[in-house]
Order: sequence, then structure tokens, then C-alpha cells
Amino acid sequence: MAFEIGIMTFGEVTKDPVTGALPSPRQRVRETIELARVADQVGLDVFGVGEHHRTDFVGSAPTILLAAAAEQTENIRLTSSVTVLGSEDPVRVWEQFATIDLLSAGRAEIIAGRGSYTESFPLFGYSLQDYADLFREKLDLLLKIREQNPLTWSGRFRAPLVEADIAPRADGDTIPIWVGVGGSPASAISTGRLGLPMALALLLGPITLHEQTVELYRLSAAEAGHDADALPISINAHGYVGRTSQQARDVMYPYFAQGMMENNHQRGEGFRISRPAFDAQASPGAGLLVGSSQEVIDKLLAYHERYGLNRAIIQMGFGGMPQKEHLAAIERLGTEVAPVVRREVAVRVGQPA
Amino acid sequence: MTAAASASADAAGPEPALRVVVVNGSPSEQSKTMGLVDVVLDTLAKLLTIESSRIDVYRLGTGFTGAVEREDVTAEVEAELRLAEQADLLIAATPVFRGSYPGMFKHFFDLVDQYALANKPVLLAATGGGEHHALMLEHALRPLFGFFQALTVPVAIFASSGDFDGTLLLNPRVHGRIQIALADVADLLRARATGTHAPPGE
Repeated sequence: MAFEIGIMTFGEVTKDPVTGALPSPRQRVRETIELARVADQVGLDVFGVGEHHRTDFVGSAPTILLAAAAEQTENIRLTSSVTVLGSEDPVRVWEQFATIDLLSAGRAEIIAGRGSYTESFPLFGYSLQDYADLFREKLDLLLKIREQNPLTWSGRFRAPLVEADIAPRADGDTIPIWVGVGGSPASAISTGRLGLPMALALLLGPITLHEQTVELYRLSAAEAGHDADALPISINAHGYVGRTSQQARDVMYPYFAQGMMENNHQRGEGFRISRPAFDAQASPGAGLLVGSSQEVIDKLLAYHERYGLNRAIIQMGFGGMPQKEHLAAIERLGTEVAPVVRREVAVRVGQPA
Repeated sequence: MTAAASASADAAGPEPALRVVVVNGSPSEQSKTMGLVDVVLDTLAKLLTIESSRIDVYRLGTGFTGAVEREDVTAEVEAELRLAEQADLLIAATPVFRGSYPGMFKHFFDLVDQYALANKPVLLAATGGGEHHALMLEHALRPLFGFFQALTVPVAIFASSGDFDGTLLLNPRVHGRIQIALADVADLLRARATGTHAPPGE
């Protein structure tokens, strides 16, 4: 498959650390759809919306945002990033994504994840004690719904289905279902055994951080009898494509630091990532996809070489990046970065670009 | 607490079974620590004939928690203590709590006779939220059995939350480490086995 590049957003409603302005939720949902439209216009392959059940995000119902995005886009694939499957009803998940698939003429995708945020579990009446079992069972059901209709199925966490007619069906043959993996060996192994594509979430750390995860994924897939080399891997990572190396870092830093402060806690509270620590994460050996177009090209190719990637989804608006800067980065990603990366990867793997 | 089934790789010879007693320091019904021990027991059963039983320290009740001295314990708890003291192989398995093993787990060993574990094979196993807890095995758990002058198995076994899907141990590196730990001492354990052979057909 050709190398795919996309963007994702959590739909942050975050006070701008530079101007102090707090955007309204109405403004943020409109801006989210605009991100999708521009990403589509500049030729990016994927647009993703993350699921968070808090007032500082407008992404509690990503399928509704994706449906709106479907109406304003032509070619881009539309995915959750991620669907917190353990606290969902897989029947409803399928119905919603199949509807998006029809609206978009076959562009819907699902990244099913365990979820790194856990608000949705008490909200929908699930116990975090069942975290692993919930995900395993619900993923099993979702895959079976995709496979056959009508469906007879029973499990622990929902009423059994007897010859249930679950509609609509996918627009085309199928809807891709990826599994979001945060880097734990067990998640990678489970995903490999099922032979499902893996969407690997990266935050900070060396570019080599997940080598073992990817190795275990491919080994487990091969042991379970799947064609391990044919299984797609995606990375979901933070980044920003700037005019220059310096401008990219200067623009991204205050927002990323804000996002980290509000979402990554130590001792029960946020901590500020210092500028030198951020700059270290932006260096060639570290994971952040921030820099000039050429830097981001180089790093994506480094990721490709290391992990055998097929797709990269970059989150460029973490921490409430203003729309103007966010759109400028999407345009650079689509017009300057993506064509070069697609061409270089095609040469590497011996495919026509 | 539960005297349990025997297992045997090849019930060929009349060799005695190794009486394995697991002391479980986890309070959870669904326990990663016991998921880890399941793999240890399965691996061990492929090497030699074993009979295993398990003591859940969090389920021993007030006859245990209320006891200050050995003479204070109820008859049921006394039987559990003796089971541990008379094992051929003791598996000390616990989650890492607050940087060490749980107090309830220590309380059990505080009631074990001072010399009952001398020269007794003891395998150390622990689970923790992340890799940074791994050295609890060497810095906290092994010294406990150093006090008892027990014969601790050289390789201690640790697994992190991320190595499990629920309570099922998936990471092959941990499986590999279990194999190494047990292969190191398989001959010694075989020589220490005192249990009666499992009845045929089991």
C-alpha cells in the first residue's frame, strides 16, 4: 500500500497560553470541520478525531464530527483516533461508522483503542476493573459484526444477539478497523495475534522507543499464521510543520507545553515541559515530528525505515494551537511533506509512486 | 488455602512429585501476580512432576490478621503456615505496593517459624505497574528470605502491567525468563521432591 499521511485532532477547547483567549465550543466544532476540509484540499490521506469526555474537548462524539467532515470533503479518509471501545456498544459503533461510510462513499475507518483517558467508563456505567476484558470482548463483537450479518453472538457485557440484523453495511467491501496501541507489549501481541492493523501512539521519547513493540507485533502475527509483513502499521504522533526549523519549534512549544500541563500529570498535577526538554524531543533521534518541511520529511522517513510504517497521523494542534497556525502547518504537510515522503517510500519499497 | 491438582509432563516414572506452595500476596480476585504464577507452574510442570497449592494471604481472615504471635492463630491458619513450612518449593509471589511487598504478605512470614525455611528452595516473583519496580525483588523480597537462610532461586521473575492482557501474561521475554529461572534449578528441585506420585489418569 502507498504511504499515507494524515492529521488528527482532539478538538481542544484550551485557553490560548499566549493571548489568554478561550475559544467557544461552537467555534471549535466549526474549526474542526475546517481542519478536515483543508486537509482534504491539500491532498492528505487521513483525518482523525479523538474521543474525550471533558469540557476542554469538543470530541466526546467523534462520529458526529466525522459525519459533518464527510459532507465537506472529497477524498480524505475519516477515522476515529481513537474510539474508546471498552465503554462503547459495538453495535452502535458499527451503525455510526457504517453511516459515515455511506455519507462519504467508503471513506470511514475505526481505530479501536483501550483509551488512555478513562472518563468514559464511569460515564457509561462500566468498571475499570474490567478494562482488559471489556476491550477484548467488544473488539471481538465489532469484528464479527463487520464479518457477517445477521449475527448470533453472546458475551459477558451485553445482551446476546440472536440472528440480529445490524445495518447499514459498509459502503464497499469493508470498513478498516485498526487497533490503537500505546506501546505496551501485551497490546501489541494481542493485536498481532488477531492480524489487525496497529496504530501506535507515540508521545515523547527516543525514536527507537517502540522497536520492541513493533517486533512483538510482527512476531505474534506470524506465529498466529498471519502475513506479518503485509499488516499495516501507523504511528500517531505529535508534531508541527513550520516555515523554518526555528519557527516550527517556537510556534509549537507554548501550546504543546500547555497541552502536556493539562493532560499529563505527575503527583496528581500537570508539569511544565521546559523548552530545552522540548527541543531535545525535537532532535533527530527523538520522536516529535516538529520542524521545517525537510526535517519532518527526514523524520518520517526515519520512522518508516525503523518500523516499516505504512501511515503516519500527526497531531499538530495539541494544547489549543490557533486555527491560523494549525491550517498553515496542514498546508505544508500536504503540499511540501507528503508528496516527498510518498515518493521516497515508494522508491524504497519498489512500488510506483 | 486450596490444596490443588497435580500436574505432570510425562507420568512415566514413579518419581516423587515436587510439592509446590505458592504464597500469594495479591488482594485481587483477578490477579496479574497469579497470572504470572500460572505460567511458572505450567513451565515447571513440563520439567518435573509437581503438586501445587496456594495460600492467599488476603483471604486468611481475622484468625490471621488478628494474630500477633504464632500461638494466636486459628487452627486453619496454622495449617496454612505448616503447608508453607513443609513445601519442597515455595513460590513467594506478590505485587509491588508502595515500593515493597504488601504488609499482609510480610505478616504471613512474620508468623513462619524462624528456621522452617532454612535451605528451602524459594522462587521469587513479583508484578508491578512498570519496569521501575523490578528491583523490589532484589532489594526487598530476597533479603526477607536471606533472613530465613532460604535457598532462593538465582533468577527472580518480574512482569509489568503492560506484559499482561488482563491477567494473561503475553510478553514472550517474561516467558523466557521463567524458563531460564526454572532450568537453572530443575535438577536440584527434582532431588528435593518428597510428594507422592500423582495417581494415574490425572
